[in-house]
Amino acid sequence: MNTGTGSHIEKIFYDDDIVKKFVMATMIWGAAAFVFGLIIATQLAYWPLNTNWEWVSFGRLRPLHTNAAIFAFAGNAIFAGIYHSTQRLLKARMFSDALSKIHFWGWQLIIVSAAITLPLGYTQSKEYAELEWPIDIAITLIWVVFAINFFGTIKRRREKHMYVAIWFYIATIITVAVLHIVNSIEIPVGMLQSYPVYSGIQDALVQWWYGHNAVAFFLTTPFLGLMYYYVPKAANRPVYSYRLSIVHFWALVFIYIWAGPHHLLYTSLPEWAQTLGMIFSLMLWAPSWGGMINGLLTLKGSWHLLRTEPLIKFFVAALTFYGMSTFEGPLLSIKSVSALGHYTDWIIGHVHSGALGWNGMLTFGMIYFLVPRLWKTELYSKKLLENHFWISLTGVLLYYISLVVAGITQGMMWRAVDKDGALVYPDFIETVVRIVPLYWVRALGGLLFIIGFVMMCYNIYKTIKAAPKNQEPESVQVSRSGYDEKNEQPHRKLEGMGLTFSVLAFLAIAVGSVIEIYPTLSLHKYVNPANIVEPHTPLEIAGRDVYIKEGCYTCHSQQIRPIASEVLRYGPASTIEESMYDRPFQWGSKRTGPDLSRVGKKYPNLWHLNHMIDPRAVTPKSIMPNYPWLAEKNTDYLSLRKKLSVLKMLGVPYEDDVVANADIHAQKQAMEIAADLESNGAPKGLEKKEIVALIAYLQSLGQKGKK
Amino acid sequence: MKQEALKFFTDTHLTSIGLLIFFLFFVGVMLWIYRSSSTEIYRRMEQMPLKDGE
Repeated sequence: MNTGTGSHIEKIFYDDDIVKKFVMATMIWGAAAFVFGLIIATQLAYWPLNTNWEWVSFGRLRPLHTNAAIFAFAGNAIFAGIYHSTQRLLKARMFSDALSKIHFWGWQLIIVSAAITLPLGYTQSKEYAELEWPIDIAITLIWVVFAINFFGTIKRRREKHMYVAIWFYIATIITVAVLHIVNSIEIPVGMLQSYPVYSGIQDALVQWWYGHNAVAFFLTTPFLGLMYYYVPKAANRPVYSYRLSIVHFWALVFIYIWAGPHHLLYTSLPEWAQTLGMIFSLMLWAPSWGGMINGLLTLKGSWHLLRTEPLIKFFVAALTFYGMSTFEGPLLSIKSVSALGHYTDWIIGHVHSGALGWNGMLTFGMIYFLVPRLWKTELYSKKLLENHFWISLTGVLLYYISLVVAGITQGMMWRAVDKDGALVYPDFIETVVRIVPLYWVRALGGLLFIIGFVMMCYNIYKTIKAAPKNQEPESVQVSRSGYDEKNEQPHRKLEGMGLTFSVLAFLAIAVGSVIEIYPTLSLHKYVNPANIVEPHTPLEIAGRDVYIKEGCYTCHSQQIRPIASEVLRYGPASTIEESMYDRPFQWGSKRTGPDLSRVGKKYPNLWHLNHMIDPRAVTPKSIMPNYPWLAEKNTDYLSLRKKLSVLKMLGVPYEDDVVANADIHAQKQAMEIAADLESNGAPKGLEKKEIVALIAYLQSLGQKGKK
Repeated sequence: MKQEALKFFTDTHLTSIGLLIFFLFFVGVMLWIYRSSSTEIYRRMEQMPLKDGE
């Protein structure tokens, strides 16, 4: 590397074309993510919207909504911001135009393949990691392309010092790679199906270590990097305290990685891991609020800009929501608060105050900032921007408040006991009916958010349309700086060295990951030999795959917490052993319907058949979708030998005969269930249908330990 | 709860070491960034977004 500095001025061109592409993709996929969100929100308020069409039922569309919001909308937004700000902060064009293009088109292809496979039911059922193995591989490759392009740019930079935003980008790239690869270690059992190598509590811990850090390192650190660049830019004054931003960075990177187990409080995950997750979540209060205050105080003395530069309103709102959701997150991680809030809509409200309020508002502010500059023109209408802001803000608040109220209401109803110690609301459906009006308010909030977004799309369209045509790229004059300091200060040594810095950031996240995950890999230490359960039969495995495919886990948990009201409602608390062979685990994170871990043998087979065809036939006022296609589609018996052989290889104790003749065993059990159904008045020939496999699985839940 | 939490830890000194590592790291970061010689470099660093020629 040329170490000289000085007065030599070079003319270079930044690659703004790639930034424009990512901005456009952000808006297109944002529209998709928001519309799917509105559809599934309305499905909860008005069940007939699920139709009788499998591809649009809630369980299939919910993963599509979350993936579109996180990876398509937020993903393209951070790429746009990173490609724009990195080139300017490092005074260098991106390392390779070809890699930039591969990154862009590869990422869009991944999104399209997600949009096709998820509604078709190809899913791993691990939240925000639903995509199947071929897409997992594609994500890894494209992420590596992005990393090479980014670190290549660092290598070729003309500015020796790396601004704090660059640090946040480095931590993002390294950590997301680690998270994605570790959580996606799976064995394919078909072209678009796989089982994870982890089972039960291991799978749960790895998944939520991933899941929470997807929030931390995909929705927080990159957006903080953008905040540390665009807020000073928009306010035209430096960040309030650069020192605080450094503390913010290291504290977040060190602490966030430990917080995952707060998603698993009161589950059968070992207590020490739960406690670790809770304590580190509480610690996050300090750096998060430090960062929020740092961002807001950057505007100190510039508040008048809110009148002349209204896009700053989006940044102020984003930072305020960052503060609110990072206050609420640790609060919800306190075990006794989690006992009330977990599995309810409070969590969904919390997530959306972060996603719509923090990520959404910051992205909108960034787009309003970028588009006029990239297209070298003025924003079409500041008035429209103002309207977008106020409508969005109203939408987010309606959304958030209605769901927090719904969550707390339902949580209180679940735990209410009368003077004799019996449940006040023993029928789960009573607690659902009570909050349906709030689901309408939530859908209205989402609708307002979308109306604001449409205003932005129109505003941006008019802005670009009015921009001068056939613009030639303009060069900028840059000179190398920071390379001529004679007495190298220790700061320069650490903070100016990309590689050393990246290794340190990696170590920071690796420590927490290893300490937390490693002990659970020796699962046998936690399993009580006296409680070992029987593995699922081949037919139950087929039914389990139907359960996963239909996204049942999006509304039903399989984990009873050791809480009195919960044991009263569902039965004894779940044990480690009960899910020890579960690949993937199906503990769930939300109870729109009741917990199912002990539903086996609670109802006759015919009840399940009627319930799946029309839930309201057995539970009036149920909001569950109809699943008529389950009685029409044939069970995939042929793949069972392969599936069981993979499970056996991973350690599930199947007899060789069961693996070799899995389909025959399954068909035999299916005949028995179909005969029972028929003798109770159901039509003939159901033994071939998916519904029988699903009934076999549901009837086995909670029954495997009773020998 | 503490007893339950620590049930699987036979080496309770590990937790103390962990606490010590985190605390010392935090103190280290604070000392590092508040060194008097760092003021000038941070003053330059914080200007970087504003001096990118646009």
